[in-house]
Amino acid sequence: MVDAFVGVSSGRVAALQKAQLPVPQPQRIRALVDTGASGSCLDPIVLRALEIQPTGVIPVVTPTTGATPAICNQYDVSIMIPAAKSAPFQVPTTAVTEHEFFSAQGFHALIGRDILSRCVLIYNGTIGLFTLGY
Amino acid sequence: MALEKELETYKQKLVELKEHEGKFALIQGDALVDVFTSYEDAIKAGYDKFGLEPFLVRQIHATEQAQFISRIVAPVTAMQTA
Repeated sequence: MVDAFVGVSSGRVAALQKAQLPVPQPQRIRALVDTGASGSCLDPIVLRALEIQPTGVIPVVTPTTGATPAICNQYDVSIMIPAAKSAPFQVPTTAVTEHEFFSAQGFHALIGRDILSRCVLIYNGTIGLFTLGY
Repeated sequence: MALEKELETYKQKLVELKEHEGKFALIQGDALVDVFTSYEDAIKAGYDKFGLEPFLVRQIHATEQAQFISRIVAPVTAMQTA
């Protein structure tokens, strides 16, 4: 589990500023690093706080959908994972899909392999520790 | 459903888009605006060109690719948010 901040994407920030509209504050979230997710996902409560509209539509397969994919909206966001002693890990623009029940499970997002493909993930199971290098 | 018209346009243009497999198409309404190498570039171009108006960015795949999530979650379908 990691603490992270999710905000609107850099392109949307520029569009909001050009339209002289306020830029929603990044939302602090708890995210689960999940190598079983090909793409990252976000709880709708966070998406609503960011006041964003979908910029994509993609099929998604989960254990609850069975063989027929659910057609889900995709949103462009920015993600920042703070680090104690170095610069934060920042992704100014990335795509996330929308999935419910993360909050009830104690987290708001899945960090999937689309984000992990930008890092080195080391899992040391013997001491229950993982390291994200970027 | 949001972006329904844009999705229809993507499906109609897929034959001509096949040569750009893996790249990202920027679509608004019934217009294919351009094709980009990265998702970030396509999104930025969308906001530059259309501001806060709706637009679609879609990775081009001749055969539709689904996102796969092994954890039990409840996808919010595009129809639910329409």
